Amino acid sequence: MNRETAYWITLAHDLPAWSFSNRGGWKNEDKTNLIIRFFHENRISIEDFFNLSDESWAKDYQLSDRQIVDLKQAKEKLANNAFLSETLYNNGIEVVPVISPDYSKTLKENLKKLAPTVLYIKGSKQIMQEDSIAIVGSRDASAIALKFTDNIAKLASKEYKVVVSGFAKGVDKQALDSAISCKGQSIIVLPQGIMTFDSGFKTYYKQIIDGDVLVLSIFPPKAGWSKDLAMARNPIIYGLAKEIYVAESKSSTNRQGAETKGGTYAGAMDGLKKGRTVYVRKPDIFEKNDNNLLIQKGACPVDLNGKSMIQYPVTEELFSMVSEPQTQYSLFSENE
Amino acid sequence: MTRPESEILLQRSFKLSHFYDEQWQTIERLFNGERVLLIEKTGFGKSLCFQFPATVFSGTTVIFSPLIALMRDQVQKLVSLGISAKCINSEQTPEENAQIIEDAKRGKVKILYIAPERQENNEWIEATREMNLSMVVVDEAHCISVWGHDFRPAFKRIINLVKLLPKGLPVLATTATATKRVEQDIAQQLGEGLTVIRGNLMRDNFKLFVIKVCSEDEKMIWLGKNIEKLADKLGGSGILYTGTRVDTEIYSKWFNHLNISSTAYNAGLDADFRIAVEKGLMNNQWKCIISTNALGMGIDKPDIRFIIHTQIPQSPVHYYQEIGRAGRDGLASYIILFYNPDEDKKLPEAFIEGGRPSIKKYEKVISVIKSGLFSLYELIKQSNLKQTQLRVILTDLMEQNIIREVNYGGKKRYEFIPNSVSLNPKSFEELRNAKLHDLNKMLEYVETTGARMKFLCDYLGDNANRDFTNCDNTDEKRIKVIVTPEWTDTLQNFRENSFPELEVQTAKSHLVNGFAASYYGVSHVGSALHRSKYETGEDFPDFLLKLTLKAFRKKFGQEAFDLILYVPPTKSGNLVKNFAEKMSNVLKTPISHNLKKTKITEEQKIFESVISKKENVKDAFDYQPTTEIEGKKIILIDDIFDSGATIREIGSLLTTLGATMIAPLTIAKTVGGDKL
Repeated sequence: MNRETAYWITLAHDLPAWSFSNRGGWKNEDKTNLIIRFFHENRISIEDFFNLSDESWAKDYQLSDRQIVDLKQAKEKLANNAFLSETLYNNGIEVVPVISPDYSKTLKENLKKLAPTVLYIKGSKQIMQEDSIAIVGSRDASAIALKFTDNIAKLASKEYKVVVSGFAKGVDKQALDSAISCKGQSIIVLPQGIMTFDSGFKTYYKQIIDGDVLVLSIFPPKAGWSKDLAMARNPIIYGLAKEIYVAESKSSTNRQGAETKGGTYAGAMDGLKKGRTVYVRKPDIFEKNDNNLLIQKGACPVDLNGKSMIQYPVTEELFSMVSEPQTQYSLFSENE
Repeated sequence: MTRPESEILLQRSFKLSHFYDEQWQTIERLFNGERVLLIEKTGFGKSLCFQFPATVFSGTTVIFSPLIALMRDQVQKLVSLGISAKCINSEQTPEENAQIIEDAKRGKVKILYIAPERQENNEWIEATREMNLSMVVVDEAHCISVWGHDFRPAFKRIINLVKLLPKGLPVLATTATATKRVEQDIAQQLGEGLTVIRGNLMRDNFKLFVIKVCSEDEKMIWLGKNIEKLADKLGGSGILYTGTRVDTEIYSKWFNHLNISSTAYNAGLDADFRIAVEKGLMNNQWKCIISTNALGMGIDKPDIRFIIHTQIPQSPVHYYQEIGRAGRDGLASYIILFYNPDEDKKLPEAFIEGGRPSIKKYEKVISVIKSGLFSLYELIKQSNLKQTQLRVILTDLMEQNIIREVNYGGKKRYEFIPNSVSLNPKSFEELRNAKLHDLNKMLEYVETTGARMKFLCDYLGDNANRDFTNCDNTDEKRIKVIVTPEWTDTLQNFRENSFPELEVQTAKSHLVNGFAASYYGVSHVGSALHRSKYETGEDFPDFLLKLTLKAFRKKFGQEAFDLILYVPPTKSGNLVKNFAEKMSNVLKTPISHNLKKTKITEEQKIFESVISKKENVKDAFDYQPTTEIEGKKIILIDDIFDSGATIREIGSLLTTLGATMIAPLTIAKTVGGDKL
């Protein structure tokens, strides 16, 4: 049991979050910067940090008056969060702070300062340190997308790679079921708080105690499912994986009824922007989805078994050239 | 806040003029946001050490207390002083508890008492996220320690909670009884930065006696002769502690027989009755309450004038804790312990030796839990263990971090902890040895020739030098039991006319509570039954028939019965049938042999849990022709009454077939733990 759990939960969830209507709020990066300062640079614990004086917060950490007020108000929640921490502990849920050696290194490398302050997990935490792939795709995926998912999950399991998925219908569920069916390991990334997943804990009890399934959430433990949380969860799925496979990217409608590209597309694009290799199932010509669009944007097409369909070897330099801004080429030609 | 300032407030809120030094020392530390373990004797005023600061703090103080009676009592007192105090407990309705939680969330409650088990309750967990918490108190903190005399698993969660609480939030743990070892254990478990404040444990208003006897009869006779006189002499009432629930029944009937004003109390009685007895105790409604140690802990009655034990407690700590309830007003109080060297060691020894199930059973439970996520009820079924044994196993497995109790959807389940260490039976052995050591110390107390209070204080880690003049080894006269023939006759008469009740009556069937001729383990009834059933196969001896007929005449003599039925056997042949035929001859009531088994059942004794026993006999009986039963009053005979599952099953069948009354009658009734 980490005695400082209540402090980490407080830092993660009890500071007012940044938003367009609250531009003075805390971004994840602000919290990460603070952690770097007190933990890595000043080498003090989070408990000691919370017990510093206002002056020290202002002087040594350059916190604004408003941030100091925020921290003081958050501090009021420490006792409440201690009760919560005890409940989590009693239910076998671990709270892994970003400074912990148990925290997923892959997630930290991929998300950098956007890595969540804490992870709530249940299951064997060793799973977070294994090689991993994410299989993502639509909730109402086609039969061929599900077949692709099944193939990739089983291949990954054979190679002792962990399958990361988001516990939604369609591709997510298929990825999990396929990995479990061949005794592979999986991470379920929840679109909700971990304490609202009771039915899942009952269903996957055997897999959890056998060390084959790890359930993970980054949200306040009691938070119920919401579309916003489902969207916010997507980067975590991508972040936890070393390789990303897209089974099917389909459009969906937003709250206003307008058509959007959907979470899979947004997540894959985010991955591409971060320079990550994203494998996308090459669709048949009759399929109506955005897989080809992702391939056009730089994703790597793969066949039903995940084999690359690019005829020439794809190197990292090649990808970086493709993603270089056009202006560099025009400047080059002008100079010529 | 300074001491003078606090004492002005104290006068205003609690109508008290000043603090004792140790009280102030504790309060001052709590004001500084520190953690304190306070060990002080009963009656010292430990409660004030948290009640006062709680009224000064801005938020709510949460007090974890295992004692509902204490919670009720303290809340009443605080409310009468105008302080907003509430308690949440299992004896209130869910609506009442929910309202209190709501009030606490809104900051309307200053002091909130709660049972440690409440940490499992979802509503409470929700509330703790919103409440403004200012202090946490762990009352009866010895329950934290497995080395303590009253370890409670629910306290394990409280320890974890305290460890997780932020620096600067005051925490107070209190107890009246902690040996040095328990003190160290509590301090170590509650984490660094804990200050221990220990007061003196001397109770100089006690008069301590040990009465050595040669039999249970001598105890009963001395008590019959003297208990009323003692109560009258001391001008109040007292408590008689027995070793078992059955003994509370027997002594209560004995006093009843002698017209001594008394009542029985044990944890098996329903809550309303227990509350009524607690109230009656406060008002001196009876001269004596006969109880297991379930009564009294935390009851704030200042004038309990005597405490008598008919059975030696497991340790001097248990004893000090139990006698501590007497004489809180400082006036003279009699503390008497009976001890029969031939017999009395057996019961606490059996508790120690028999308290721990076999390793095989532990392994079975682990394997069941590994195979699925089960509730307690499901585990009882899957493992076929008695609930009490299963609870011991579960507690130990949780203690060793092999399993955990989780709460999914408001329901408790038991979950295996992946990569946990394997079972370590050594720790059980250590605990067993520690308990045997404690029991030996208690026996030393009986035999000591020195001052008895000094013996207890030394044992509890209070080694201060004082004058001890308050026991039968110092200034008081020794008590001896004198048995006269008149009293022997009175007791004999009582024994022959007192029969254990078989509690089977429900609203749904026409079963009435029946009677047994005797308890299985008392006198030689059990051994006679065992001999016939499992050794000789010969009919039950005639003295059992006479005893059973006596029970029948005494309890059902006025009733006209139409038919005698008997429980068809599983293995022991015609013993019960022959016995029932003899009863039928004497009572001149027809007997029927038509109550039959419709399926093969196992012997009930192989099942440990009541649930499995019920399932074993479910739909196992039939009676043809059914017309013979309609409108009949029936005597239902069996040899031994254990869980009552068979009697209830047959009672339910006969009710369905139209019987108007079914009265069970058995030769013996078992007492928990009897080996059949």
